[in-house]
Amino acid sequence: MFSAMIRKEFLLVLRDKQALMALFIMPAVFILIMSVSMRDIFSQDTVHFDVSIDDLDTSEISKNLTAKIIKNKNFHIVHKKDAQFIIQMPKGFGNIEDEQNKTKLNIFVQGTVKSDVLEMFKSKLLKNIVKLELNVMKMRLGEFSDEAANSIDLISLSSNDLFNVTYNKNKDIPNSTQQSVPAWIVFGMFFIIIPMSTIYINERKQNTLARLNSMNISIFSITFSKIIPYLFIAQVQMWVMVAVGMFIVPLFNTPALEINGSVIALIFLSFALSISAIGLSTLIAASANSSEQATTIGGILNILLGSIGGVMVPKFIMPESMQKLADISPMSWGLDGFLDIFLKGGNFFMVLNESLMLIFFGIIALMISMLILYIRLDRGL
Amino acid sequence: MNIKVSNVTKKYGDLKALDNLSLEIKQGTIFGLLGINGAGKSTLLSILNGLTDIDAGTIDVLGFDIKKDKKKIKEISSIVPQNLAFYEKLTVKENLDFFADIQNATRENYNKAIEISDLSKILNQEASTLSGGQKRKLNMAIGILNDPQIIYFDEPTVGIDPKSRNEILDSIKQYKNLGITVVYTSHYMNEIEKICDEVAIISKGKLIEQDRLENLLSDRISGQILIEIVYENGIELDEFTVKDNSFIETTKDRLCEVLEKLDQNNISVKQIKYSTTDLEKHFLELTDEAEDV
Repeated sequence: MFSAMIRKEFLLVLRDKQALMALFIMPAVFILIMSVSMRDIFSQDTVHFDVSIDDLDTSEISKNLTAKIIKNKNFHIVHKKDAQFIIQMPKGFGNIEDEQNKTKLNIFVQGTVKSDVLEMFKSKLLKNIVKLELNVMKMRLGEFSDEAANSIDLISLSSNDLFNVTYNKNKDIPNSTQQSVPAWIVFGMFFIIIPMSTIYINERKQNTLARLNSMNISIFSITFSKIIPYLFIAQVQMWVMVAVGMFIVPLFNTPALEINGSVIALIFLSFALSISAIGLSTLIAASANSSEQATTIGGILNILLGSIGGVMVPKFIMPESMQKLADISPMSWGLDGFLDIFLKGGNFFMVLNESLMLIFFGIIALMISMLILYIRLDRGL
Repeated sequence: MNIKVSNVTKKYGDLKALDNLSLEIKQGTIFGLLGINGAGKSTLLSILNGLTDIDAGTIDVLGFDIKKDKKKIKEISSIVPQNLAFYEKLTVKENLDFFADIQNATRENYNKAIEISDLSKILNQEASTLSGGQKRKLNMAIGILNDPQIIYFDEPTVGIDPKSRNEILDSIKQYKNLGITVVYTSHYMNEIEKICDEVAIISKGKLIEQDRLENLLSDRISGQILIEIVYENGIELDEFTVKDNSFIETTKDRLCEVLEKLDQNNISVKQIKYSTTDLEKHFLELTDEAEDV
């Protein structure tokens, strides 16, 4: 009995071409458009580095280095709180002739700066420092011998000899792909309202649900048989979107998606998110009087939840009050979970909290929709 | 064993959909349920199918209590809703397979449903592409997949052509021959007259009348005759009872006398009609009375 109901639901949704487009093509296109169009906003592959300078040494070298950095077009001097890199020159940094007392330059790096960007930054900085130090040494050695001064050019210096690098892990900002892929996976999953409500409301309006109920199929079975196919579809949807992020987005000169975290966590989160989306969709389909009404309400609700949940506008650029408001949206829970996995290398336990919230939300919505269906059947509506 | 509805009341808020309704449907008959929209017919069908709970009263369906044996009652009965309660995106076969699977229908019943409903040639056609009549047949075929002892038809011929309607009515007569009890609701009195053995008229959730069809009709055949005339302006018709400027109502006893007078007055006769649709008239009279009350 149950397998027949699941098969029926699969056949119905797979024959609904518009719905499949909404579920697969729409988010895939959004991922491409948004990733490419936001590339420069999120990009760290630029040769411009936002830096802040903290000169505690105030030596000739440190002053010269500060002047060089300010003049250099690769470096933008910004306030400490906005800086990707804080360059701190501690006391003793300028003691180039006294190796014993010479201190290393401290670089404080914002947590989300990618390692290749950091390497680029370090190499640019190293070049400037070495040039500066060599010039100073040359000037001094040149007084004794030109040959000795020229031989200094052959000395190679490693950045590790000059810098202490500290990552600041407090703030995590995704790149455009890391933001777009999960955002549109979440948004796309909630779009199952379209096929679900169309099928569900037609079944209700045409008395097919009443007929099924008169055939001893319980409301629980009717509802549960709808969950399985959509759970499966949602998983396919998630992996298709991840594949778009990994393999298609890079074709447009945009960073590829990397799954830094646990795949198991990703599957679990995706499962939880689909329960939530199915629950909400079933609730709307059970409450609405027509499929037009359901798709309108569903569409508006999706956009609202998406807007406040960080899908349309990334949460990290929202003001703090809006970020707090975002926490009421299940889309935000899902998005946070995906960012934990893609960005922070999150594992199962890292996304457990968000996943449980999503499952709880979905189950409550499903229970309310079953109650509504029971009342509707009793009233012959 | 019959279907016995005793003092059943069903309320939706303040509205009484069924008000202390009692009626009995004999096993193996075709039972017509008449009533204007909102009379309580659909509510009664929902209750008899176990879809809706009753607030008061008792119902015995072929020996099963509606409150205690709902599951069993659902197993032995079936409803053919007014709407096309199947999946338009599936083929005829996929629909039949689905509804057969969920009810564990036997292959024999499956084939019987196809045969009675004459669906064998359109099995692979998507349901959305079927004609109105074919859709109705599929709707009905699904209703007999579980080999029911009772079938409830809720206006199954709405919006279809006369040929398909006659085919459907013939199928329903076949169900009776198979020993199935049929409860039939329709707004078409001629359908009721054509297939039903017994009729109940309900209004505002109450039973107005229940009797065998022949009793209802024989009581009402008054021997009235309608003479349709070719009306021309200026014709004096004062001595006749004329309806709509076209029909003169008279009785069998006075027919010769009336025709003679028409001839004297040079009034041409178009046709002479014996009144045979008394069920409709009777239904309207009864429901009008009930509305007035």
